[in-house]
Amino acid sequence: MVNLILKFVSSCRAADLRVSTAEVLDCLNQLELIDTIDEVQFRTVLRTNFVKSRRDQAKFDRLYHLFFHEMGKDSGLSEDDPFAGLIRDTMEILYQRANGDMLYRSLLDFLSGDPLAYLTALRHMRNMDHDAPQNVRFNLGPLAGRLEILMQINAVRAKVIQFLDDRYASTAGIERHNAVDFFNRHLDSAYSLLMHEPRPLYDDLQNIRSYEQHLKYLGERPFSALTQQEVEEVRDVVDRLVRKLKDIVSRRYAARSRGVLDIKKTLRKAMRYQGTPVELAFKKRPPRRGKIVTLCDVSSSVWSAARFMLNILYSLQECFTKVNSFIFVSGLAEVTDIFENHEINSAIEKVLHETDIEYYAPTDYGETFRHFKRDYLDILNKKTTLIIIGDARTNYFHPEDRILSEMREKSRRVIWLNPEPESEWNSGDSEMFAYKPYCHELRPCRNLNQLIEFVEELIL
Amino acid sequence: MAFKSVEDVEKRLEQAGYISSREIATVVFLAGATGKPILVEGPAGVGKTELAKAVARGLEREMIRLQCYEGLDEAKALYEWEYAKQLLYTQMVKEKIQDVIAGAGTLSDAVDRIAKQEDAFFSERFIQPRPLLQAISSPAPVVLLIDEVDKSDPEFEAFLLELLSDFQVSIPELGTRRAMNIPFVVLTSNNYRDMSDALKRRCIHIYIEYPERELEMRVIRLKIPGIGERLVQQLVETVRKIRDLDLKKKPCISESLDWAQSLIALQVEDITPGVILETLNVICKYRADSQKVREHIDSITPRAGLNG
Repeated sequence: MVNLILKFVSSCRAADLRVSTAEVLDCLNQLELIDTIDEVQFRTVLRTNFVKSRRDQAKFDRLYHLFFHEMGKDSGLSEDDPFAGLIRDTMEILYQRANGDMLYRSLLDFLSGDPLAYLTALRHMRNMDHDAPQNVRFNLGPLAGRLEILMQINAVRAKVIQFLDDRYASTAGIERHNAVDFFNRHLDSAYSLLMHEPRPLYDDLQNIRSYEQHLKYLGERPFSALTQQEVEEVRDVVDRLVRKLKDIVSRRYAARSRGVLDIKKTLRKAMRYQGTPVELAFKKRPPRRGKIVTLCDVSSSVWSAARFMLNILYSLQECFTKVNSFIFVSGLAEVTDIFENHEINSAIEKVLHETDIEYYAPTDYGETFRHFKRDYLDILNKKTTLIIIGDARTNYFHPEDRILSEMREKSRRVIWLNPEPESEWNSGDSEMFAYKPYCHELRPCRNLNQLIEFVEELIL
Repeated sequence: MAFKSVEDVEKRLEQAGYISSREIATVVFLAGATGKPILVEGPAGVGKTELAKAVARGLEREMIRLQCYEGLDEAKALYEWEYAKQLLYTQMVKEKIQDVIAGAGTLSDAVDRIAKQEDAFFSERFIQPRPLLQAISSPAPVVLLIDEVDKSDPEFEAFLLELLSDFQVSIPELGTRRAMNIPFVVLTSNNYRDMSDALKRRCIHIYIEYPERELEMRVIRLKIPGIGERLVQQLVETVRKIRDLDLKKKPCISESLDWAQSLIALQVEDITPGVILETLNVICKYRADSQKVREHIDSITPRAGLNG
C-alpha cells in the first residue's frame, strides 16, 4: 500500500500538484483509520490530503482515475489472463528494440503501468514556453512539443500492431484481438492526457452580473458610446460619487471598532469626577487600508472604461495605502507618478501623450504579464488587490495565463473587469476563458452603473 | 463520545438532522480521529456552517463560533482585559492602597509594594475571554467553528495557525493556557481570497458541492416529514435544472427546503409552470435570476407524469 501511494504521489508531483511530505505522512496515517476497501473513503483520504484547493481537484480526479482505474483494476489485465503473457512478450520486445529516445521509453513505461515518466514529459512540454527565452511571443514551443509526443504515440501504436501481426498472425484471434484492444485503450488514455489537460475548476469564482440601476440613462450608456458632453456629465457624477464615498468611509472609520484604552485621556476625563474614571477613552485604531494595483488595457474600447476607473481610484486615494497603476497595449508602463503629481484630468491626458506606449500596436497580454513578472512582481503582496481592466483580446499571442496564476498567488485578490458584453467573452481571440480560473472575481464594466457598483463594493 | 467509524459519523449526523455524503462523513471521521481542523469550502448555502453545528450535536458538545471579518484582531478573538472594571476597582479600593503603602519609607518602596499587588488586577477576575480562549479553556471538549476565515487578514491567519498547531495561548500576565481538551475545529471559507498554504497543510480539506439528486431528496424528506414522494422528485428535478442556468445566485439546499415548505402551504401536488412562476421569489434572490428562469420555464418544468 505504501509503495502504491508513493508511486501515485510521484505522478501527482509530475503533473504539477504540490504535495508535501507532511501531507503524504498524514495520508498514510489516515489510511490506517478507514476501510480502504470502500473506494469513496479511500479516494477521500487521498483527495483531502493532496489537493487543498478547488482549482486543482479536476486535475487530481483525472490522475486518480488514470492511476487506480485505467492502469489499475480496470486495465483488464490480471496475471492469470491468457493474453497477459502475450502483452508481456510484446512489451519485452518493444523495450529491446527501443532506441535511446526518452519520450518513446516513457510511453512504453506508461503501457507497463508506470505513468511517471510520461507525466513528467507532459509537464516539461507544458512548461516549455516558460523556459523559453522571454522574447518569444507565440506558444509554438508547447505546440511543437505536443506534436512530437503525438507522433511518438502513433509510432508506438504502429509498432505494437505490426509486432502482433508478425508474431501472432496464426494464433487464436480472440487473444490477439484482446491484446490490440488493451494497447489501444492505454494509448488512447495517453492521447487524452496530452490533448485534454483538465482545466482548473472555478465554480467558486464570483461572477458578478446583475446590478442595481443607479442612474437611468447615463448610467446605462456604454462608455465607448459617450459623446464629449456626456463624458463631462459622467465626470460630474463621478465627482459626486467620490465625495459620497469619502464621507461614508470617514464615518465608518469613526465608528470602527475601538483600539486599546487611552490612559492619558481617561485620566484627564476622570478629573471631572474627582478622579473616578466614569468615562473611558480608547485609542482610535488607524483604518486598515489595502494596496491597489491596477493594470489597464488602453487600447481604445477599454480605455474609455479604464479612464473613469482610474479617475475614481485616484480621487479615493486616501482610502488606500497605495495605488500603483500600469497601462499596457503591447508593453507595460507604470503611470503611478503621473497620477500622483497631476490633477486627474490632466493626468489622463498625460498618460495618453507622454508615456512610452505604442497605442496602435496589437494588444499583447502575454507580453504584458511577462513584463510585469520581470520588473514588478515584488509590488504584490497579501495586502494587494490586483485589478485588471481589459477585454482579454490577445490577438492570438500567447496568453501566459500561468503568469496570472503566479500573480494571484502573491496577491490578496485578483479582480478582472471586462468592458465587453459577456456574450463575446469566448469568441475570436478573447482569452477570458483561460484567465477566468485565476481570478477571484470577474465582472463586466461597460457603463457607469457597473463601475459605481464595483467601486462601492471595493471600498465599503 | 468520539466517532467510531465513518458509518457511525453518517448515522450520528443524520440523527442531528444533517444528511452527509460518504465523502463528508469520511472527512469528519478523520478530523475526529486525528485532531486536525477541517477546512470546508464551497458555494454559499450548501451547509458548511450547518455541518459544524451537526457535528456539535452529534458529539453532544457545545459549539463556540467565531465569525471572521476584515480587521478582526486578537483582542476580539482571544481575550481582552476589562479596563472599565479594573479602573472602578482601583477607585473602590483606594483606601486599601493607602494601607498597602503606609509606612513605606521612599517613593520607590511604595511603588514596589504596589507592584506586588499587581496580580490582583491582572487576574482571571478581569479577563474577558473571547471565542478562541473559551474554546481552549473549556473543561469539556467543544466544537469550534471559525466561520468565513477567508474574510480575516493574513496577520490573523498567521496567529490562528499558531493556535491551531499547539492549542495553547500565552497571556503575558497569567502565563500559558493549554487546552484541556483539543476542540474539534471547523473552518469555513467562501473563496473571498486564497488561504495560505501553511494553513491548508494543517487542515483536512473538503469542498462541498451542490448535493447529488438522491442526497437532496433525502434531506428534504428528513426536514419535511410527510411530504409527497412525487412532489419531492419533481421539486429536486426542477431545482437541479434551475442550477444549470447561468444564475448570479444558484438555489441551494436551504432554498429547496423553503420552496418545499411553500408548496406544501399552497397544497400543491404537481409542479407546473404556473406554480413555479407564483413561487419564484422563494427560489431566486435576484430579479435578473427570476427573469432568466421565466425565459427557460418550459425546459425546467418537470415532465408531466414524472414519478421517478
